[in-house]
This record gives sequence, structure tokens and C-alpha cells, in this order.
Amino acid sequence: MANLSIKDIQKSYGALKVLHGIDVELEDGGFLVLLGPSGCGKSTLLNIIAGLDEPSTGEISIADRSVTALPPKDRNIAMVFQSYALYPTMTVERNIGFGLEMRGVPEQQRKAEVRKAAEMLQIDHLLQRLPANLSGGQRQRVAMGRAIVRNPDLFLFDEPLSNLDAKLRVEMRTEIKRLHERLGTTIVYVTHDQIEAMTLATKVAVMKGGYVQQLADPRTIYERPANMFVAGFIGSPAMNFIRGKLVVEAGRSRFESEGVRVPVPVSGAAPGTRNCVLGVRPEEMKVTTADNAPIKGVIDVVEPTGPDTMVTVRVGDHSVVARAEPRFQGRRGDPVAFDVDPLSINLFDAETEERIVMGSVHQDA
Amino acid sequence: MKSVLHRGPLAKLGDLSETRYWVYLLLFPSLILLLLVVAYPTLYGFVISVREMRLTRPGLNGWVGTKHYVAMLSDRVFWISLKNTAIWVTAAIALEVAMGFVAAVALNRNVPGTKLFGVLILLPYFLPNVVAGHMWALLLDPRLGVINDILVKVRILSSYKAWFADPATAMAATIVVEAWHGFPFFALLFLAGLKGIPEDLYKAAAVDGAGPIRQFRLITVPMLRTVITAAVILRVISLVNSPDLLLVLTGGGPGNATQVLSLYAFQTAYREFNFGYAGALAVVMFVILMVFATLYIRLTRVSKD
Repeated sequence: MANLSIKDIQKSYGALKVLHGIDVELEDGGFLVLLGPSGCGKSTLLNIIAGLDEPSTGEISIADRSVTALPPKDRNIAMVFQSYALYPTMTVERNIGFGLEMRGVPEQQRKAEVRKAAEMLQIDHLLQRLPANLSGGQRQRVAMGRAIVRNPDLFLFDEPLSNLDAKLRVEMRTEIKRLHERLGTTIVYVTHDQIEAMTLATKVAVMKGGYVQQLADPRTIYERPANMFVAGFIGSPAMNFIRGKLVVEAGRSRFESEGVRVPVPVSGAAPGTRNCVLGVRPEEMKVTTADNAPIKGVIDVVEPTGPDTMVTVRVGDHSVVARAEPRFQGRRGDPVAFDVDPLSINLFDAETEERIVMGSVHQDA
Repeated sequence: MKSVLHRGPLAKLGDLSETRYWVYLLLFPSLILLLLVVAYPTLYGFVISVREMRLTRPGLNGWVGTKHYVAMLSDRVFWISLKNTAIWVTAAIALEVAMGFVAAVALNRNVPGTKLFGVLILLPYFLPNVVAGHMWALLLDPRLGVINDILVKVRILSSYKAWFADPATAMAATIVVEAWHGFPFFALLFLAGLKGIPEDLYKAAAVDGAGPIRQFRLITVPMLRTVITAAVILRVISLVNSPDLLLVLTGGGPGNATQVLSLYAFQTAYREFNFGYAGALAVVMFVILMVFATLYIRLTRVSKD
């Protein structure tokens, strides 16, 4: 078990710069998720941590030991690949034990440790099979077995669940979380799936264009996204954005747009008006019958999903989605009003798209 | 009823396309072609192998049964050709596989310029056998060959050597020429095979602690096994079948030092005009090649599963 330190990692391929100075600290036993759309540099960063790719500048330390110049095999890491990368000509047993075999662990001990790992993952009955004769979920387990049998300082997961069907993906996600809690090993996990990030991580690094957009725990990322990109990337349905004005007068402030008038807890702001964007999560929009409701609109589409009903509403020029109760009654064309908790909203600068910090109320991280 | 009367020929064709005979109708043209250019000559070859058919002595023509096959058993040249075929094909393919592998591994590195080399390396394969043969005959010529000149200058040889005229070197020289000519075939297939090996396997092996040699032995070779086998079988078939390079370089000589089955059958037919015996030789080759063809079909079926 070990901490991980990523210091000013930059990476260029010729003229193309894919990582612009990444700094991340991860505590011993932490679970870091690198989250972002494809091409954001998250896999490159993982490869650099693994030693499969060299950074242009910067330093990687694992367990307080600089490993930047070390080859992958000397970093005491284990990696699970999206494609699982099982050796097709070797049995499951040899696949799992291959890392131990390469390190010269005696056969007897190797077999015992492979069996232990296989039992933990419930694949001990598959040990003599070839990867070609396994299902997707079983291959995934073998790939994880290959990682845990080594008892490394650091696990690296490269989109491990994206080749599984939806049901299995949820199961394996739980399995990975259970494994992490049981083994307590430090993990770096790359994904583009925000649900995986939310459920697994102790720390999320949201990446885009080779920059870390925000590095924080999942709750903070969800509730206080650093900018509109993070806000829009996390959450499904996505956070609603409404363009409008922040009006500050006589120590009170509010956000205004067509059909929207939300009081905003800004303290110490100078009086005046500025263009900004209101961000409000669908589940924070509560249907109300009050006359002075902060958000008013007209129902466009009603989509019952079972546990909730998604209501798409026209508010001025904007289309916003509210997560209403499952038995929500309402039809296209009906007027509807929503209440929002002023503490749940976020405001973003219309130009920079950065979140506007709204004073002491928000306990900013 | 009226609409039925107005239906044209296209509509009838449309009706036919709904029946189970449609598939045979569509296959018919290519089937005819195959019968004409493949099935008929093959069967005809079998037929003349049990007949006498000498253009020089038409009076003898007629049914002779297994006469040619019996004669073959005591034909010294046949046995030499059989042995030479085995040696020539085995040695040439071994060299070609080795050279092809090296070339493919070299080309698979993402080094600038490999694309150009990828094309250059294929050039020998683009040359027709006859052209390649004449080119090498010139290069190795006993009086004005460049290679003789170089070997003498670097003092490996004391005087020019007639490579194809010496029974001790003729076979080896033709094998080298064939290897040069044929290795791009393997390089091309191996390169495609190498590109098909997932990069992740090498990454996983690097993390697991396997060095380049173990990665090669435990990942590259096993992953290419199917490609290697398929390419070798295909090459065996084409080498056993083609007399042209040897025809140009040695004509089977000196003596029978480089005589192979395909060339022997060719010469029997077109130099001695003994088509009956040549037919019998061809049938023997057919049987040998059927073994390899069957292996190949088995292999492609297995790899599909």
C-alpha cells in the first residue's frame, strides 16, 4: 500500500501537447478516478503512471519513491486493461500467475497464491481454461485476479468495465468497490463513465484537453463543480444551465432570466449586474404551486422512468429538465412552477464559464 | 386477372427471385466458368495420365491404364525430382519465413521511413519469376556476374564461379534466389499478423515483468502461429507448382541436380511431348498438394472458431 504523487506531468507528441502540467496527490489507500471524455489525456496519464509511456517533464512517486525513470516492472504496480489483455495461449492459472512467474516465485507458492486470488474472485473453477472459453465477465475477473495476486503498491484500471454489458458492469463496479475496501490498496482508475467515478472514487480528477478541470471528492465535484464543463459532464440528466443576469443591490442579490428569479446568497459583492449562467440540478427543482415560485415554465415533455418522472420544461428560451416524483401529473402545455433551494444552485461566469464563488455560505472546498 | 396479363418479363424475373431456384440461377455463370477452366483441365489431366499421348509417335496413342505410374516407380529422375522438390521447398520456405519475420518485425516499429521500406521490400515479389530469374542469372553469371566480382574483390573467392553449373552449389544458389524472391510474401502476411496483436498484451507483459525476448516468445510467436502455418502451406503449394524460376536458372541441371517435379512434368510434356507420362507426374503432384490444401482448409476452419 502506498501513496501516489504526480508532479507537473507534461506530455507532448511532437507539436501536440496532450498533458499540460498535471498535479495530483493521492493518499495511501485512496481511490483516484481520472474522468473525462475521450482524448482528454486520462489514458496517457495512466500510461505514464504505469511507466508504459514517458512524460516530457514531471515526476511520478509511488510510496514516496520516485519511479519516473523506472520501467513498469520495477514500479510494483498492477494494471487492468479495457481489453483485459489476457494472454490467449495461456490458461487462466498461468495468466493470473504470470507476473509471479516472471519474478521467479516458486511454482508451489505461485499456485497457492493464484488459487487464493481466484477464490476471492470466484473463478477458481476456471483455472484450467483458456481465455477464449470465458465470458466477458469471467475474463474481467481473470484480469483483476492477475492484478491482485501480485499484491502491488498501486492498482491501475484502464476503463475496465466499458466492454461489459450494462447489467454486468453494475455488478463488477460493486465488486471493484468491495475489493478496494477489502484490500485497501491505492487505486487509479480511468473512465469516461461519471457514475463509476461517483460510486468508486475517494477523489475524482475531471480532465479535459490535457488539463485537470477539478480535483476533489465526488460530492464536491457533483455539488460544487469548478466550471460549466465539469457541471455538465457529471450527472444524468445533466445540470440545467440558464443564461441570465446576477443582480446585486442593497446587499441582496438574485439571478434573473425570463421566467426565473432566484435569490442568491452572495455576500460582500459590489452592487451591479453581470452576465452569468445559473446551474441547477434536475433533482433540485421541486414542483410547487406557490405563486412566487422562482422558476416558472410550460411543460414540454413528460417521461416517466419508474422511480422518477423526467419533466422537460420550457423556461423562457431555455429547455430545462426536472426530476419530479414518479406520479407527477401534468401534460404538455400545462404551466408549471418550481422551487429551488438557493444553497443548491451554482452560478457560472458567462465569459469564463468558471463557477462564481458565492461567499461564506458555500463552504467551498 | 387483368393485372396478370400486363406483367412484363421483369415481373416474371421478380417472381423467380422469390423461389429457391434463384440461388442456382445466380451461381450458374461462375459455375460454368469454374467448370471450364478448373474442373475440365483437371479431369482431362487425370484422363491423359492413363493414356499414351506422344506427339512424336501418335501411332501409340490410346488407353494404357497404370503403365505410366508403374514406370514412374522405376524412374530414377522421378525419385530425384521428388527428393529435390522436398529439399528445395523446405529450404526456400525456411529461409523465407526467417527473412520475412525479420522484415516484418523491423517494419512494425513506428520509425519514420518504414512506409517507404514497406514498399521497397515488396519489390522482389512484384517481379515475375522469369524476370527475377534472368536478373539473378546475370548477377551470378560466371563471366560477368557482379556477385562473382564482389566476392573475388573481398577475397572470399579466388576466381569467378559458375554457381548454377556446379552440382555442389546449383541447388543452394537457386534456393537463395527463390528466398529473395519469395520472402516479401511472408513479410507482408507477418506484418499484417503483427499489427493484429493487441498493444495491450505487450503493455500487460511489460507490467508483469516480461522482457522483450519473453514477450516475443510468449506473445508474438503464439499469436502469429495461425498466420505462419497458413502462409507456409500456401507457399508450399505455390512452390511445388511453379517450375519457372528453375527453368530459367538451371533447367533442372546440371545433370538432375536441381530437377524438381513441376519442372520434370513440364519438360516431359513440352520438350519430349510425352503428355501421358507428364499427366501422370502431374497427378502425383496433385495428390501431394491435396494433402497441403486439406491442411489449409482445416486450419482456416479452426481459426474461424
